[in-house]
Amino acid sequence: MTTYLFEQDLVTQKYRILAARRHDRLVRQIAQELDIPVQEVRRYLIGHLDMIQLENLPARAEMAEAHADPDNPVARALGREKYSTYLRILSGAAMDAIFRDVSARVHAGTPADDAVRQGRAQIREALRP
Amino acid sequence: MKRVVDVNIPLGPIHPCFKEPARLKCEAKGERIIGVEVELGYMKKGIERIMKGRPWQEVMFLAERVCGICSVIHNLVFIEAMEQISGIAVPPRAARLRVIANELDRMQSHLLANFSYCYTIEHETLGMYLLDLREQVMDELERLTGARVTCAYIIPGGVRCDLRKEEAAALLASLERMEGDLRRYTGMFENGPMIALRSRGVGILTPDAAERAHAVGPTARASGIAVDCRMNHPTYRQLGFAPVTRPDRDNFARVMVRFDEVFQSIGLIRKCLTDLPNGVVRGRGVCTAGEVRYSGEAPRGELTYFIRSDEFGRIVEIQIQTPSIMNIEACCHEMIIGSDSIADVTATFISADPCIACTER
Amino acid sequence: MSLLQRIKNKVRARSIHVAYVDVGSCNGCDIEVLACLAPRYDIEQYGIYVHNNPREADVLLVIGAYTPGWEEKLAMVWEKIPSPKAAIAIGNCPISGCLFNRRETFIDPPVRKHIPIAAEVPGCPPRPTEILQAILSVRDSVFFNWEAEHP
Repeated sequence: MTTYLFEQDLVTQKYRILAARRHDRLVRQIAQELDIPVQEVRRYLIGHLDMIQLENLPARAEMAEAHADPDNPVARALGREKYSTYLRILSGAAMDAIFRDVSARVHAGTPADDAVRQGRAQIREALRP
Repeated sequence: MKRVVDVNIPLGPIHPCFKEPARLKCEAKGERIIGVEVELGYMKKGIERIMKGRPWQEVMFLAERVCGICSVIHNLVFIEAMEQISGIAVPPRAARLRVIANELDRMQSHLLANFSYCYTIEHETLGMYLLDLREQVMDELERLTGARVTCAYIIPGGVRCDLRKEEAAALLASLERMEGDLRRYTGMFENGPMIALRSRGVGILTPDAAERAHAVGPTARASGIAVDCRMNHPTYRQLGFAPVTRPDRDNFARVMVRFDEVFQSIGLIRKCLTDLPNGVVRGRGVCTAGEVRYSGEAPRGELTYFIRSDEFGRIVEIQIQTPSIMNIEACCHEMIIGSDSIADVTATFISADPCIACTER
Repeated sequence: MSLLQRIKNKVRARSIHVAYVDVGSCNGCDIEVLACLAPRYDIEQYGIYVHNNPREADVLLVIGAYTPGWEEKLAMVWEKIPSPKAAIAIGNCPISGCLFNRRETFIDPPVRKHIPIAAEVPGCPPRPTEILQAILSVRDSVFFNWEAEHP
């Protein structure tokens, strides 16, 4: 027999967390960085993170700013550790695959900026519902 | 987040061990916990939204009611942020009295946290001893500030009332008594073989994970990270403050760090009382416009206020980053994962000293 | 008064089980309720036991100003408590919302809109002795002769 526990719809309450000032600023920054509409980012975050992770997003982003990928400029520009281990938006495996593609492109002679831009496009694809 | 999992064990919102409502949905494989989803929203009052557009005189009382356990530090950090915006100086006697109030508050909060932990691992005797000791600390706090909880003792430019000489002597005497009692209770905890079985090696938080989640306070210090905002505070620097750390990273270390900090607080209060400067306790000044990010060390860790005020001292924008946000996150997504049984989940959760009212505001 | 009723009165006067539920306060009142457990106040000498389990409770202490998270759940908790039962509102929040009851807030006080409240203890927060006194007075006024008065 399968019975479901009583579950409240948490979307409104999660949105209220993201509507706070610092959270909103961070969401807009992510949206700008990945070139996704703000609403899409919000929907993704609400769907994939639980409430305490949403509350903790700005603190984690701050730590990512200070400590993520200290010795690899390409990874830092792409936000490898920022999006995987710090903000936990993408799984580590998915992010590693994207980063492998990007570093392969850099090795093949593509300028770092273009490679990172293509990597961001891949992140965007991965975030698509 | 809708997912299909093998076994999902919800804990809370009403649970005998939790002081406050929170719901942990533990995803288990056999007895082992492989994931936890936290459901909050039982305490969301929207304090930051209420604060917006109100004068500091009102926001001061609202700030205190972000958290009823550590109300003095919320008061202190908000007022010191306003002082920094407006350039108000604090008389030296008031600065010392603030430290005394803050450390008494820290003592009662740590004792309460350790009581909760002992109660959760079913060591009720030690828990009751600690709760009794906490009542004595509350008496001292009441003697100093006039109220047990939410005392609004700290105001811009000083403190609300002075500490008389005979009160200071009484405070010193009861610190002596409390230190003796606490030494005995700490020994009971440290040397109890059953407590060690239940606590040592449970709920490991590695320093890397603590850093990623921005864990703060005793939770981070028990993982060997020496972070403490009191190191940057001018009054504490005069008192020669150095943070307490432990390398063990488990539940036992977190509780012991709190015990050690209570002893440290007793030492700090004693140092404040022995060379308490004479003079006024209330300076003067006017709160003005400005923007600041100000941090202070709450009992649970780094508490940060982001404030923007206008020329009449009204709060235009405010956000509060409380320590419990980071600690609960580190606890639920790092410490609890891989626990051997569901019984360790509550113990580990309580060992991080979660405060849901702080987290949700 | 029947013999059975007299026995029930006698037993009930020495056995009150308490559950507390926080519906959105600053947890100052929570801690004051917890302080009642301390050896100084020693609530077990009055026969009051804090189990925090609604299914075996007689008295529900309601703390806080009713946040949206509790919309369906508080009534569910209240229904789980077997009769005779009483709810006590602790602190200003469940009575009026205290200083959280302003524009832009999420709360929905007073709690007596949502469940019946037998007693209210004002204060921000009330002292443990006041909470204790409220529980004792509810015991005498609600539980005494309950079967005779609710046939």
